[in-house]
Amino acid sequence: MSRRARVGFTLAAALVSAVTGGAASAQPLRQQLPGGLTVLVRENTATPVVAASLFVRMGSRWETEDEAGISYLLQQVLVKGTTTRSALVIAETAEGLGGGISASADVDYSELRATALARNWKRMLELLADVALRPTLPAAEIEGERRAMLTALRSRQDQPFPLAMDTLMSRVYGDHPYGRPTLGRPAALERTDRARLVAHHQRFYQAPRMILAVSGDVAAREVMAEVARLFAEAPGGPAEPEPAVPAPAARADRTVIVKASSQAQVLAAFLAPPASHADYAAMKVLTTALGGGMAARLFTEVRDKQGLAYATGAAYPSRRGPGVLWTQLGTAPPNQIRAETAMLGELERIRREPLSPAELARAKGYLLGQFALDRRTNARLSWYDGFFESLGLSPDFAERYARAVEAVTAEDVQRVAQTYLATPTVVRLGPAAP
Amino acid sequence: MAPSIGRRAGVCAVALLSYTLGGCVTASPPAPGSRAGLPAPIREVLPNGMRLIIQEHRAASTVAIHLWTGVGGRDEAVGERGFSHFAEHMLFKGTETRARGFVERDVEAVGGRTNAGTSNDYTFYYLLLPATQARPGVALIADMVLNSVFDATELGRERDVVFEEVRLNEDNPRASLGRQLYSLLYQGHPYGRPVLGDAADLRAATRDTLRGYYKRHYVPENMALVVVGPVNPAEVRAAALAAFGALPRTGYARQPLAPAPALEGVRTRSVERPERQTQLGFAWLAPPLGHPDMAAVDVLGHILGGSRSSRLNQELREKARLVSGISGWYGALQGAGAVGVTAQLESADEEAVERAILAEIHRIQADGVTPEELARAITASEAEREFSRETVEGLALAYGRAETTWSLEAERGYLDRVRAVTRAQVQEAARRYLTDSYARLAFVPRGRAR
Repeated sequence: MSRRARVGFTLAAALVSAVTGGAASAQPLRQQLPGGLTVLVRENTATPVVAASLFVRMGSRWETEDEAGISYLLQQVLVKGTTTRSALVIAETAEGLGGGISASADVDYSELRATALARNWKRMLELLADVALRPTLPAAEIEGERRAMLTALRSRQDQPFPLAMDTLMSRVYGDHPYGRPTLGRPAALERTDRARLVAHHQRFYQAPRMILAVSGDVAAREVMAEVARLFAEAPGGPAEPEPAVPAPAARADRTVIVKASSQAQVLAAFLAPPASHADYAAMKVLTTALGGGMAARLFTEVRDKQGLAYATGAAYPSRRGPGVLWTQLGTAPPNQIRAETAMLGELERIRREPLSPAELARAKGYLLGQFALDRRTNARLSWYDGFFESLGLSPDFAERYARAVEAVTAEDVQRVAQTYLATPTVVRLGPAAP
Repeated sequence: MAPSIGRRAGVCAVALLSYTLGGCVTASPPAPGSRAGLPAPIREVLPNGMRLIIQEHRAASTVAIHLWTGVGGRDEAVGERGFSHFAEHMLFKGTETRARGFVERDVEAVGGRTNAGTSNDYTFYYLLLPATQARPGVALIADMVLNSVFDATELGRERDVVFEEVRLNEDNPRASLGRQLYSLLYQGHPYGRPVLGDAADLRAATRDTLRGYYKRHYVPENMALVVVGPVNPAEVRAAALAAFGALPRTGYARQPLAPAPALEGVRTRSVERPERQTQLGFAWLAPPLGHPDMAAVDVLGHILGGSRSSRLNQELREKARLVSGISGWYGALQGAGAVGVTAQLESADEEAVERAILAEIHRIQADGVTPEELARAITASEAEREFSRETVEGLALAYGRAETTWSLEAERGYLDRVRAVTRAQVQEAARRYLTDSYARLAFVPRGRAR
């Protein structure tokens, strides 16, 4: 190497600043209201905006095959009418506050999100409470959203990556509800009428099942008082026992889908521990070393050295129940078999060869850095606060998680790789191989 | 913003057209009394023509370092189609003192992020780093863009990666529609060429031809460094001078761009695709960046299809249930602009959707917009600016793009221009630009082409 200075970054300083910093308070103010609603408020003076996330413990996890998709449908229809507002008035009100309101459903939770200019925070919360507590679920809106979901499900079948991914999840989770798309099943959606949606809303929109997280240029105590007033009418109720769900059973096999596409998709997955598990941090480091970022093994080996992919990576989403680690790459159809071999080779190698000190340091730095980068906007801060709470994790989870990641060793990573990455479930999609 | 191509899916590779206000309104002076008021950015032109923009942002914990060059798809001659984007990939493949993968390793190990994007008008590179890393970051990005080696073996491998990127985009109908609609609208003009380029030109590219292209365009007169974060401007300036100050002036002047040729009537194309849904796109020629009508067209695009309460969403999706999704947008490039509508629908409804879209346009032309619609569009513009300031990269992107394709000053004053738009101006813009001459592109299920 020439003497032209190679400028090094200082790792220690970076890790410290990655987890703290910014104008947001380090911890949200947390309070459980008498009715059971959990409220988290974070003051952040950086920008005159505010965001709120209302989490409800409702989603695929609590659905049967017969009603798959009902949570998603309910969420979409909630923002389409209240006792005092039509769908258009809801949209116009939210936009007039300098933001928007939207809804989604996932496997472990469902969410209503709102944003606004900070000066409008009271009116934003009033709109959110109205949508959550006083929806009218109009029949015409149910029909419209049902059709939109059926169309979206059909589009997933038409597109290579979503089709491959849905197939992979059903193969790795078996009959466990995490194996179904959150959009549900067409037959179940066709059966879902207004009466079922009303019952679903009554069952799940109960104060003890809800978490409201707010972040922005607001005064936490004022927000807390306003939320107590707005959500006072939220029904209480006994805590419902966790649903009995079938144990996941990975097929640990290989599915080849022959479909015309410009790129072939190769995916592999393994069942993995839930977010509350002691191996969670080591699994996150493992995932990052394999496929997090452009210096990860999949990117450097399969893309950079062999030119076999454009997009490739790995993910280990945080789940309340059994988790999943999956890897993906997209490649030219003639390369699909070689690419599959290369990906499976990396999954095997990481069980055999421990990470080098540089790889381990890179993976940890990248993992914590991306985590910090993702927790800068108010929308993301309120989402994370609500999400951690919904998984039953304490508000200081972010800090505890960062410390756990820093403590992970190369031996830990190899151990979890050997434990969890034993037999992959593989899906390959592309035109017929030559 | 024009279609922008990045190195990695998920960052900016599949960015479609950036819709209306999001594209340009991001950084005006703070409103009086804002607790988060930022000082004005410092802009300096170095003696060699290189531009330097520094924005102190004390509330941030990260620093964004952007390097913008005025080179993109529009600058490519015959035989060079796709070179801007290919060169962008090669800049990550090693310099005279750093091996391939250095950027990723160094940046990712400190918890940062790096990527790049290429469009018709520009190419940019970014580092997003912990705040303490501003100085080494400036040195790193300078090494990347000035000392890239273009190793012949790496070039061969990276060419395959670029071809994979092309295939990835082809499989995504919405991304493909946006790109092909631009090609149809700007037929015969450099903006109509795909930024990903021409397969034959890319196959024929050698180390010498590609490196020659890079050396011609990556010159101080054609570059801007933008740094946003909790930085000491004097320190950043010193680092920038050390890295870029000694580069000689080259006398570079960018080739002027011809105006986009006018359309005569409706230019139609129908493409058969494997998907069962139909995708429909319409685009009209519209004002370029800096044009006096820009703010009015921006507001028009928002009212037409930029939000949930917009005309097209309410009438076609919520009331008539003719589409599963629809949006209206305005994208302004340096030499031309486009205003358009894209929708997802069932193939049987194609003609009904077209009639309904044109009817909404005629309604705005005949009756104008309401005071409430105008007020919401202006509030959305203001909110867009505030939300984009939540991150340092949001500001750096707005400043870099403005400096490269427009002007920093105009960008910072843009919100005031939006605030001054009247209902009469919006109606006049609808009449002037949404004419009977437009491009119409349909992606239809196989066997259903008209």
